[in-house]
Amino acid sequence: MAKVYVTGMGIITALGDTLELNRDGLMQGKCAIGKLDSFPSKYAETLLFGEIKHSNAQLKKMLNVNVKGVSRTSLLALHAFNQAIQDAGISEKELSNSDTSLVIANTVGGMCLTDELYQDANQHNSGSEYIASYDCGSVGVFLQDRFKIRGIVNTINTACSSSANAIMYGARLIKKGYAKRVIVGGTDSLAKFTINGFNSLHILSPGLCAPFDKDRSGLNLGEGAAFLVLEGEDSIVDQKIIAEVKGYANANDAYHPSTLSENGDGPFLAMQQALKQAGLTPGDIDFINTHGTGTENNDEVEGRAMIRLFNKVPAFTSTKSNIGHTLGASGAIEAVYCILNLLHQEIYPSLNFKESITDTRLIPEQSYSKTVINNVMSNSFGFGGNCSSVILSKV
Amino acid sequence: METQVLKQELKEKIIEFLNLIDTKPEDIKDDQPLFGEGLGLDSIDSIELIVLLDRNYGIKINDPKEGRKVLVDINTMVDYIEKNRTK
Amino acid sequence: MFYIHQTVCISPQITFPEANLEQLIICNENKLYAKEPSYEGIPTGILRRMGKAVRLGVAAALPLFKLNDQLDGIIIGTANGGMEDCIKFLNQIMQYEEGVLTPTNFVQSTSNAVASQLGFFSKNKGYNITHVHRGLAFENAIIDAEMLLDDNKEHTYLLGGLDEISTYNFNIDYLCGYIKKESITNADLYTGKTEGSIAGEGVSMFVVNNNSKDAISNFRAIQTIHTTDDKELAAVFKKFLAENLSDRETVDLFLTGENGDFRYENVYETLESILKEDTVVARYKHMCGEYQTASSFALWLSGWILQNQNVPMHMLKTSLKKNEIANIVIYSNYQGFQHSFMLLSKV
Repeated sequence: MAKVYVTGMGIITALGDTLELNRDGLMQGKCAIGKLDSFPSKYAETLLFGEIKHSNAQLKKMLNVNVKGVSRTSLLALHAFNQAIQDAGISEKELSNSDTSLVIANTVGGMCLTDELYQDANQHNSGSEYIASYDCGSVGVFLQDRFKIRGIVNTINTACSSSANAIMYGARLIKKGYAKRVIVGGTDSLAKFTINGFNSLHILSPGLCAPFDKDRSGLNLGEGAAFLVLEGEDSIVDQKIIAEVKGYANANDAYHPSTLSENGDGPFLAMQQALKQAGLTPGDIDFINTHGTGTENNDEVEGRAMIRLFNKVPAFTSTKSNIGHTLGASGAIEAVYCILNLLHQEIYPSLNFKESITDTRLIPEQSYSKTVINNVMSNSFGFGGNCSSVILSKV
Repeated sequence: METQVLKQELKEKIIEFLNLIDTKPEDIKDDQPLFGEGLGLDSIDSIELIVLLDRNYGIKINDPKEGRKVLVDINTMVDYIEKNRTK
Repeated sequence: MFYIHQTVCISPQITFPEANLEQLIICNENKLYAKEPSYEGIPTGILRRMGKAVRLGVAAALPLFKLNDQLDGIIIGTANGGMEDCIKFLNQIMQYEEGVLTPTNFVQSTSNAVASQLGFFSKNKGYNITHVHRGLAFENAIIDAEMLLDDNKEHTYLLGGLDEISTYNFNIDYLCGYIKKESITNADLYTGKTEGSIAGEGVSMFVVNNNSKDAISNFRAIQTIHTTDDKELAAVFKKFLAENLSDRETVDLFLTGENGDFRYENVYETLESILKEDTVVARYKHMCGEYQTASSFALWLSGWILQNQNVPMHMLKTSLKKNEIANIVIYSNYQGFQHSFMLLSKV
């Protein structure tokens, strides 16, 4: 079957608004997780977050958004989307051609607008400007309308694995002939809803998250967006090819709504099937961008699943130690980071690690290095047992 | 409040809070384990019971693991409430 | 493209466990609530946590799990699944000022709660996904299933669409102008000349694979588009018909998502005028109400019509002249800008 290539990327995270800023931050081992600047929450002073230091008003101005009812989630998406289509050199005409599709992922939608949603849900008189912007689909609808996208448009929500699934769905649309090019990605913004939700489950870290560390005590929430332009081999004329979407898989842990099983069948099967789909063996993977949230449950189970699959677990890190857990955006953001690994043949340090988990004894890479990387695996494991794995390869 | 009355109240509150359909207070024995084989509650329930203790009795338990030591059965819970309630 | 085998539909009409569609169940307050079943297959320990969408979804899938223990994956479309729990959690945040909160509502509020519970109940570790793109959530689930079945010829998947009416959803939809301001009865849905429709809910589940033997129906084609331009939509419809029906085939039944919102009346007239005169035109939203994944009800209904070779009178917009119904085209319209066409045929 024809290959699927990445021909453009865009990103915005707590590390910065551009690919360059993100790469610089990763290379320097920068931790962009800290106190909330401008977010009204009880937890602004006590917990740490990967906040993007632009207010909504600033984002609207930067992005020339003059219509009402656009949530922060949509604004972040627009920023990354713009970058991606510019990077890929997609024309307006191509964008609105029926062979261009959009597949986007998010978990928050417009629920970042806690106060407006509360009012609109509970009172009957008149709605806020955001009345039609609360659902997850609102972001895709916003982008579809702004860019007049006529091909298949889809939104996926499988919690933390959402945008990994978006990448997969987009690649498959191309392989099956439903689209010539697909812009895939994910976005999520910080929201009182998710902050309080994760806090109620006692899985937010009181300090900085420490993925794969023995004393890890939870995750830090972050926000961000990333988009990739995927095009089929047959559509390549003079576009620059950045990487290949080599393999992918989606499996379910089928154990518990918010915890992974001890054996980690979901993570194991996702990784194993992605390798099979890619036509690769475990030994072909040079590096893994783990899900690595820093929670007790995830890191131990993910470690165990990696050990089950790989004779020798490849070098791995968690970029959530730089920017926090960006939920629906994490799969796409981490895919972009994997492509940076491939393009520049380098590994960025994982942060806040001191001692390995007793049971698995795995140690993430802790310093920057130049190294040969042909195939990178990016893992995303979400609530509901939704586990996805994407393999990206050098071209 | 008398211990027996508190036990009854606690059972009613647990049933309501955890939405234990089909369970009546008299179905819950004082020494019946809340988790595992007994009443069959799980990790999310343990967090919910911590919230119950906070909202109804003003008791704050910050670590769910510490909470499990208290949330063994009705007897241990009532004992803890009597010693620590602020409401 | 693929074959539909066993199906379950829980809706405001009599559709589960047996269907009786001749009798239209009436509602008078702009809300068509699904007839909730007994939930006897769901242990109370798990049922107690489930919001309506989740328990409806599980109740619909359980009979299908009994008949199919080797499913290869679960593919769900839901736009608002879990919204009720979402807003209950939000209310907690406000009421307790971000204090100590109970997590159940949060965990149940994620859109993938249904698919995840289905995976849990069936211990299915295969593909598991939730599509949430509003009025095309179910359509994307179908496209996903199509692609999977094309890649995996021997596989069988559970495909489903569902959404619930929650107090909060309804309020937001009302403020958006999606619900009629005046109270009407669903029997009169198409007679008024006002904006908005009536709220609905339901779940429809389908077991799908590439095997034609014992199949109820043959799902042949799907097309989705975002547009508010009737001309563009008409062109897409003509292309859909030309590409998917041979010269010898006719559209016997055109089943439309007309929903009583007079703002979109023209669209239906335009599309109906493209079809031959002997095509029967029928409608379904007076049965299930308006919700983002109502096309899943339409798909179930079409399968029923193909099996029973009958279209209940209350559905007919034009009179029934056909001796045989072999090909049904379903047209779904969500708020005048998300559209889909589906072609379902007799096996």
